[in-house]
Amino acid sequence: MSKGHQLRSIFNLIGLYFRVNLASAMEYRSAFMIQAFGMVLSNGSFVFFWWIAFNQIGARIGGYDFTDVMFIWAVTSSAFGTANILFANMNHISRLIISGELDTFLLQPKSVLISVLCARTSLSAWGDLLYGFILIALTQGADGQAWLMYFCGLAIGALLMTAVAVTAHTLTFYLGDASTLAGMSVEFIVNFCIYPKGIYAGWVQVLMATLIPATFMVHLPLQLARQFDPLLFSGLLLVSAAYCALAWFFFYRGLRRYESGNLIVTRL
Amino acid sequence: MPSNPEVQVAASDHKGWGAGQAPVRLGKYLAIAKINLHQAIVYRSNVLGGLLFYTLFIFVFYSLWQAIYHGGEVQGYSLKQVVWYLSITELLVFGCRTPVFTQMNEDIKTGALAYQLIRPCHYVGYQFAGAVGRMIFNLACFGILAVVLGMVMVGPLPDYALTTLPCGILSACLGLIINFFLLMCLGLTAFRLEENSAFYLVYQKLVFMLGMFIPLEFLPGWLQRIARWLPFPYVAWAPARLLVAFSWPLFWQILPLQAIWALIAIGLSLLLYHQGMRGLQANGG
Repeated sequence: MSKGHQLRSIFNLIGLYFRVNLASAMEYRSAFMIQAFGMVLSNGSFVFFWWIAFNQIGARIGGYDFTDVMFIWAVTSSAFGTANILFANMNHISRLIISGELDTFLLQPKSVLISVLCARTSLSAWGDLLYGFILIALTQGADGQAWLMYFCGLAIGALLMTAVAVTAHTLTFYLGDASTLAGMSVEFIVNFCIYPKGIYAGWVQVLMATLIPATFMVHLPLQLARQFDPLLFSGLLLVSAAYCALAWFFFYRGLRRYESGNLIVTRL
Repeated sequence: MPSNPEVQVAASDHKGWGAGQAPVRLGKYLAIAKINLHQAIVYRSNVLGGLLFYTLFIFVFYSLWQAIYHGGEVQGYSLKQVVWYLSITELLVFGCRTPVFTQMNEDIKTGALAYQLIRPCHYVGYQFAGAVGRMIFNLACFGILAVVLGMVMVGPLPDYALTTLPCGILSACLGLIINFFLLMCLGLTAFRLEENSAFYLVYQKLVFMLGMFIPLEFLPGWLQRIARWLPFPYVAWAPARLLVAFSWPLFWQILPLQAIWALIAIGLSLLLYHQGMRGLQANGG
């Protein structure tokens, strides 16, 4: 099968899982709406925090103004939402490995990793996605470049967040239960994404461009939204693809060490 | 749906905080607190992740406020005071967080409450005593870390009078009581509402916005005036303010208000509990 065909097959599979998960979520409409709007409200409180901070301090914090901070917030929130709508099972990989529930996915005819990642969705994640969209609409107005980089940042951020979570959970194949470490990796990414990059010391910024790729998820898209540079944009796409490829490789390498627990499970 | 007679008997025995004389009554709650403290010590590795997150939050806020401050003061707070302030508010709200809301929700919705009622003590008292035991351990762990982080990041507060520390600790205890019983009230709404998580989210954000992330003094005047009439700033802002910038007039202004809110929260949770118990129906086991 050619690479192009393989890639199309992966996208088709993701699309199929998405439709099934959405149909399942719609069976519980009220829970879905409450969770989604609860999340919008919850995230909204941080706008208040930044409004107060900028009101007290003035024009710029760590090199960012209010609309810049709202941009990185919007991209982070929407990327987190997208990752958890499409790949919510990324948070459960360690448990699947430890309990032996991975067996079920090994029998699937398509990619194991994609099947694992897409087997679950999060209802509240729709609130995160929606919140980012509202924030961009309210703070960036009709700035086409900002909108374009918001959508690019959303896709890149979702993929990078998933890649980091997969890589961290894959450590379970080697070290035993790595769920705490994996949970923390996502928390660390989110925390370093939602504050201006300039507030951190140099060594933290190095971490943000390597182990915790917050720079590629939101800070570079912001820079590109303010001043587009095709070379920098190409570099961003390449680096993001490299992170995803590494996570893919690391997972399948680790999968070789997996031993079945002969667990019988039913997936409905 | 017919009521379970056993549960009704247990519930009817459950009106007071327990039978017997005062020392015996308090003794069993003390024993519950001790068991929970012991459990927290045995499963101490659970707290490690929390300590790491706490360090991350304080580090991020330290970096943020360091970038914000260019020397001097903002609304009477120096950078040192703000960092210590945040260490204390995070310690009280994040470090000493209690799962009482989810616990209540689960107990009521799954019917597990019926099994709790068999215990020879008041359900509300049982939950509070258990939370106190866990909080003592968390307070010790996160408290030490808060002091270490404060010292490493900004150093000690200048001219700090250690003699005022007990007053600040008293205010912190009242803050924890208000938080616990307000969360319990929200959890107890599960008796009437199937989906009550939105209340929890709103409560959490009100505590965050009115004192946890930023001192109340940073808010616009009109909002400060409204906030001072609400219970939320008395969870984190009041104790943190007293601990970083103590003054006797402020202490005598804040402490009675905290005591009143604590009494209101306790009274409301008991009222909601007794109202909920009247309508409780449990089947089988």
